[in-house]
Amino acid sequence: MKPKNYFIKKVMVKTLGQEKSQGITIALFCIILSLLAGALLLLALGKNPLSAYRSILQGAGLWAKPRYAGHRSMLTDFMSLLDYTTPMLFASLSVAVALKCGLFNIGVPGMMIFSGFLATITVGYSTLPGWVARPLVVLIGLASGSLLGAFIGLLKHKFNTNEVVSSIMLNYIISYVTSFFIQTDFIDPLTRQSLKINDATRLTLNDAVLGNLKMDIPLLLPVGLIIVAALGFMLNQTRYGFDLKAVGMNSRASRYAGVTIGRTRILSMGLSGALAGLAGVTYFMGTFASIQPAVLPGTGFDAIAVALLGNSSPPGCLLASLLVTVINNGTTYMSSRMGVLREIASLLTGILLLISACRVFIQVLVQKYKQELENYYQTRKEAIHG
Amino acid sequence: MDNIIINGMAFSMPLFIIAVGGIYSESSGITNLALEGLLGFGAFCGGLTVAVIEHLFPAGSALPMYIALFAATVGGAAYAVLHGVLCITFKANQVISGVVINILSLALTAFLANQINTAVFGKTSNKFLLAVSPRIDIPVVSKIPLAGAFFTSVYPFEFIIIVVAVMAWYVLYKTPAGLRIRACGDNPHAVDAAGGNVAAIRYGAVITSGALSGLGGICFAYSISSNFSPSIFMGFGYLSIAAFIFGNWKILPTLATCLLFGFARSGGYALVTKLELPGSYSDLVLTMPYVLTLVLLIFFSKTNHPPRALGEIYDKGKR
Repeated sequence: MKPKNYFIKKVMVKTLGQEKSQGITIALFCIILSLLAGALLLLALGKNPLSAYRSILQGAGLWAKPRYAGHRSMLTDFMSLLDYTTPMLFASLSVAVALKCGLFNIGVPGMMIFSGFLATITVGYSTLPGWVARPLVVLIGLASGSLLGAFIGLLKHKFNTNEVVSSIMLNYIISYVTSFFIQTDFIDPLTRQSLKINDATRLTLNDAVLGNLKMDIPLLLPVGLIIVAALGFMLNQTRYGFDLKAVGMNSRASRYAGVTIGRTRILSMGLSGALAGLAGVTYFMGTFASIQPAVLPGTGFDAIAVALLGNSSPPGCLLASLLVTVINNGTTYMSSRMGVLREIASLLTGILLLISACRVFIQVLVQKYKQELENYYQTRKEAIHG
Repeated sequence: MDNIIINGMAFSMPLFIIAVGGIYSESSGITNLALEGLLGFGAFCGGLTVAVIEHLFPAGSALPMYIALFAATVGGAAYAVLHGVLCITFKANQVISGVVINILSLALTAFLANQINTAVFGKTSNKFLLAVSPRIDIPVVSKIPLAGAFFTSVYPFEFIIIVVAVMAWYVLYKTPAGLRIRACGDNPHAVDAAGGNVAAIRYGAVITSGALSGLGGICFAYSISSNFSPSIFMGFGYLSIAAFIFGNWKILPTLATCLLFGFARSGGYALVTKLELPGSYSDLVLTMPYVLTLVLLIFFSKTNHPPRALGEIYDKGKR
């Protein structure tokens, strides 16, 4: 008997059934589904989804706008996209490394503020020359983030505290305590944010003149790309990476296999924290130059979506962080051009996240269809020959 | 001193009912980090209802508030179905699903509140104004020194919460339904063998947690800000998670934890006022419940006994 919805099942198995490429194909499938859902939403609002999506691309610097202001072009927008992608990339890698070890690091926003704030008050207001200040900022980001991450890992190991709850508590504590210090000592009364840092300490070259264009150049993006490669190597080729993944998959089995679980967890949370620290300094001392008190950066939460979408693999995180940043950056332009509310950006990301959370289900479903089709082919073959 | 008790109670009661919701879901074996999103969505539904029906009632009528409480309960329950579908039917990772639900809830309510305000009420705002809730002094007992403060300027919702919480306690610990819920969190295979439907029981528990969170959410909206706005997402859901983890997934110890949080918070505020510190010090006070949670978690997590099957996807085929 021919299975129900034979055609749909066949297409799904054909496109998503290859186990080797499932990481990419299912992610693409999720993206397409959420774009369709977004299109329905835009239609319901009475907007043309195609031109809405085009204006997102235009806003993100991937499609030419009808006109540009002086010293601006598509390249300017594209560089700004990269500038916003850099912290997102680090933050998502941070979530991904912890996820690989079976830990859910929702403390990224807090770690970002912690490292950003520490680097701001120690180096950001100093008059050090750029070649001293910038490496120093990076070092402070790495150190403060990894300390905080390792602390959460230590609590988990020593006291069995749930890492999700403890990192959420730390998020709020850090957010309010830094807010207190900013409000009392470093507040800019006009912007209601912390005082702007000196340009020489900033990890983004702001309005750098290139030819007759002005653009933002994220200095740490190349570092990010190197880290993507290094993490990929570490997770797949080294013993530590293997231990880390083993603990994530089955901590009891890996204990029997002789992995020291506590150390692995603390180290991976430290690594995750270091990456979150980098995200913090590139965000608060790169993309932006000041800190808004008592607000947890949305990038830290979006990074969870990005890591999920990228299947916690480093190259996946790179592509996914580009995609989410395209949505975030492009929507500003879209909302002004099409008269759609700015909030739709986070809604689109939310839908994307919701669908990506179902990826295991999709995988199982495709597997089931595959089995069904194979059974069908088998019986058909038998019918013909027998 | 009276103020500490009055404000502390007004804060800890909604927190408590949300935590009870969390206990229901987690007792049945479904990790529920979605409380934050559920309470926000419930508050949104309540706020929206008030905005729609308000003009039908004379000014100052308390009826819209009760309708809003009901709407928030229903809204929270409806939104919790999503968590159920993801965790139970789609077998998604429950922690991830919870976080997704929270992020989506924030995005969805901010967008809808803005869109509805623009399209229907013709104003650009992401808030729904709620009327100020009446407050009640209970005659006689409120005159008792010190302890009387527990009965002075009480929000009506505090009584509703106490009634609901007693019912919730009774159902969970004294009825067959409650036994089944707890059994699902402890040994779902045994429930299955005894003829229970694990998925259905878990759906019921998750939806209950949504309903209770929605109720708690609208109470927060009434007591803290008298409006619904995205600033309702202040981490109270996570705070209540910490409360029931510290309460060892049991309702009565959780009540004690919630009271502790509430009084820590109101006591801190009272201290800032008393010492005439500048307003920025309230930021430090706001950290008190969180610091307390963290410290208590460190000391008590070792002896915690979460439901044994918590967070595990129920798979019939697995022995």
